[in-house]
Amino acid sequence: MIGSKGISRRGLLKTGAAAAGVSLFNINHAWSQDVTYDGGVFDAGGATLNVAEWGGYWQETQNRLLLDKFQKDFNCRIQYDSTFPWFPKFVANGPEDPPIAIANWNLPEMYKTAAAGDYFVDVEEIRANVPNVAKLWDFASLGGTGVTWAFSRYCYVYRTDAGPAPTSFKDFWKEEYAGRRGTYITSNTLQMDFFLGSCATFGESETDFDAGYEAMRAAMPMKISDFTGNMATLVERGEVAIAVQSDAEALLQKEKGVPVDLYYWDEYKGILTQTKTISKYADPMSKRLAFALLNRTLEAEYQTAFANEFWMRPSNRDAVIPEKMAALGVVNSADATDGLHIPDWQAYLDEEIDIVETVNEIFAS
Amino acid sequence: MGDTSPIPLTFRLVSGVALVILLTPVLIVVLSGLNSGEYLTFPPQGLSLKWVAGFFTSPIFLPAFLFSFGLATVTTIISTILGTMAAIFLTRSRSRAREVLRGLFILPVVLPGVVLGLALYVFFAWTKLGLAGSFPGLLIGHVLVTMPFVIATVTASLVDFDLSVEDAARSLGATPLQAFTKVTLPIIQPGISAGTIFAFIVSFGQFELTLFLATPDMQPLPIAMYTSLRYAFEPTAAAAGIFAICLVTISTLVTSRLVNLKKLLRRR
Amino acid sequence: MAELALSEVHGRRTGGRRLRPTLWWLVTPAILFFVLFFLIPIASLFAISFDKGAQGVITFQGNLTLDNFARIFTRSLYYEAVWRSVWLGATVSVLCLIIGYPLAFVIARTLRPGAALLLTILVLASMQLDMVIRLYGMMVLMGDNGLINTALMKVGLISAPLPLMYNSFGVIVGLVQVTLPFMILSLVGAIKSINPSLEEAARSLGSTRWHAMRTVTWPLSLPGVYAGTLLVFALAISSYVVPALMGGWKVVTLPIHIYQQIAEVGRWQFGAAIGVVLFGTSLLAMAVYILALRRQAGGRM
Repeated sequence: MIGSKGISRRGLLKTGAAAAGVSLFNINHAWSQDVTYDGGVFDAGGATLNVAEWGGYWQETQNRLLLDKFQKDFNCRIQYDSTFPWFPKFVANGPEDPPIAIANWNLPEMYKTAAAGDYFVDVEEIRANVPNVAKLWDFASLGGTGVTWAFSRYCYVYRTDAGPAPTSFKDFWKEEYAGRRGTYITSNTLQMDFFLGSCATFGESETDFDAGYEAMRAAMPMKISDFTGNMATLVERGEVAIAVQSDAEALLQKEKGVPVDLYYWDEYKGILTQTKTISKYADPMSKRLAFALLNRTLEAEYQTAFANEFWMRPSNRDAVIPEKMAALGVVNSADATDGLHIPDWQAYLDEEIDIVETVNEIFAS
Repeated sequence: MGDTSPIPLTFRLVSGVALVILLTPVLIVVLSGLNSGEYLTFPPQGLSLKWVAGFFTSPIFLPAFLFSFGLATVTTIISTILGTMAAIFLTRSRSRAREVLRGLFILPVVLPGVVLGLALYVFFAWTKLGLAGSFPGLLIGHVLVTMPFVIATVTASLVDFDLSVEDAARSLGATPLQAFTKVTLPIIQPGISAGTIFAFIVSFGQFELTLFLATPDMQPLPIAMYTSLRYAFEPTAAAAGIFAICLVTISTLVTSRLVNLKKLLRRR
Repeated sequence: MAELALSEVHGRRTGGRRLRPTLWWLVTPAILFFVLFFLIPIASLFAISFDKGAQGVITFQGNLTLDNFARIFTRSLYYEAVWRSVWLGATVSVLCLIIGYPLAFVIARTLRPGAALLLTILVLASMQLDMVIRLYGMMVLMGDNGLINTALMKVGLISAPLPLMYNSFGVIVGLVQVTLPFMILSLVGAIKSINPSLEEAARSLGSTRWHAMRTVTWPLSLPGVYAGTLLVFALAISSYVVPALMGGWKVVTLPIHIYQQIAEVGRWQFGAAIGVVLFGTSLLAMAVYILALRRQAGGRM
């Protein structure tokens, strides 16, 4: 995946340089390299930092755990944009005029944006300027562009009052779940991963898309949901007996007292990640602040506190798993992260047009 | 009232059906919002005001509510003025162009908000006037999608307006403005108030358009709700609705009292 | 010139005292606003629908092609959605009119002011809930384990849940719930502006109530019918949230495709092309409707 990424990036650099004129491109490039950060606190003199992250309760939590203090410490003002999607916003403004200095993503959208132009600082530059990257599990910085600071595992959430518990990935297709199994629309990362998991389990590899289509067909009739919150409600109301879900969401539901439990996919250990990118051509002060904010996001204490709110796992090796998660068997160890797998998003995105149309047709049938 | 009642029985029955369709889901949500349990559920596990209280203490939802309220108010004022003026033109001018204009003015409603939002965002980014992600930019989008409602309802109430009434006022010495405010305005007032209500509600609940145009920092309520509901169906969203329902009930009551009071005073 | 002559004729007809002054200043601000912030941005976006599809490109490139449109009209996934959207919009408009007219009439004509006030508040209250959360209420009511199905099964009328949601029926009910207030409030204004003495006159001349309704009230309320149906149609045909949540992805409409392509997949050329098709289809449907209505109303529209 990193390989294919490198190729497409080189191609883009070539066309970008040709289009913009080599000298101009190089000037910007050199200018963007000037910024360095060493992990310390500095005075930003009231500068503004444009941040893009999810809204609602998420925003409330980020303010409380991270951003309020950050603004005080660095004497800066954070503009928080929670109106996704970020992809069109980046593209409409072009790489050299980024509306957002540091953005939080689900990977498919991030790769799509990265493939559309020279938008983000690469991982090497981040590693050089964000000391805490050294404390992360390896998978967290393997993506080429962004750095993953939290993740959750995929699972099935199932109602404990709806018959025997599932014991394998393929149990989702059992006859008794007909019309009572749930997944998401094609643009939801959960469905993307479920699809790739089906390709891997029923076919030869996660890119064996024909096997994936066959599996989707076999799973009909199925309840299709737009987003996670809606699916959680379908499960809570008993409309759905088993559903694709991230463990963060499923554990949260279990904590609230809904009669559900989780089956972790052991056959295909894809993960749902929260990943941050820094815009390459953000103005120097923003960029420096972005490095600093990313550094704080990667601190163990913050990640523990965040896990306690959202049930997401930390990517920092030293972060302590909150008690309530530990009680349900979540651990932060080399073993637990072993075998975790970031899906081949590039391969998926290359075929996305066909996948979306074919799966839409299957769902509508 | 028997036969002297102006309303046929069939109409009463169908009205009942309409009310059931309108209100049952609302009732369910209101009861779920008064739930004392941990998540949105029906039937509620017990009644409490804790989620309503949660709404008022939330650092996200209450500011979002106030922001949306302010945005909708400004939007409604601009839309009502521009829209009413346009509607007067549409009903009184004999120009051929008015048919084309009439079509033009309803177009923003036909397009899904996401199309209009993207078009405006790209346009704002391209013109580099600083409108992208700014309050004026957001306001422009909202005026665009609310004005069709004002124009449609005001036009409807003006079509049958008898111009001779206004002319009579003029012949008795009223200026055009006096004739309009004293004679025309009171007659078309139901149309205008329907228009303002639509404009306010459409702006207040606007989600897709706002996705691309919203200003960072200040989050309109529908966005705050959707981004929260994406993860979990929180009763806070229902609580916000309960608050809005109380607000609209009180304001309608107060307005009608004021109108009655005015009428009473005038009669004396 | 023609306009001047016409307005003169008109002026004479309505009293003949004066020439109507030009009215263009009334509409100029709205026109400028629409041209600048609607026509230009939308035209620029629609222009890219004629561009060759390219990921991550949002501006017009000039690689002219009709591929995007060819794709829409050769794949049943898309062209069926065109028809489905129009059909849903029309059905919802008609249903809203049938269900909404009586309630609007009651609000406009009730002799007890308290009742009108209460009904108005109820209609307004039904519009105050956020769409997503309101559809949660619909799900509680109409889901497989919803109140209706549970009640019917308990009574023993049915043995398996009725499919009330995740199909066209669910989408129609959802859309009616959401758009009905717009119909009712459009009609209330129109009915209120009819002088009740006209109906009374008709009845005192021996018309039955229904006859007076059909020959006096209904024709005079047609401007409101026209406004209400058009607004409801436009709202219904462009709705994303209702078909997405109530249709369970079985009722895929054009806005769903548009939303997916624009906000999620990021194929803007294709998304814009679907937008053009939706736009064109809606305009055509509304033009047909307006022409038909005008014939019936004898030029009063």
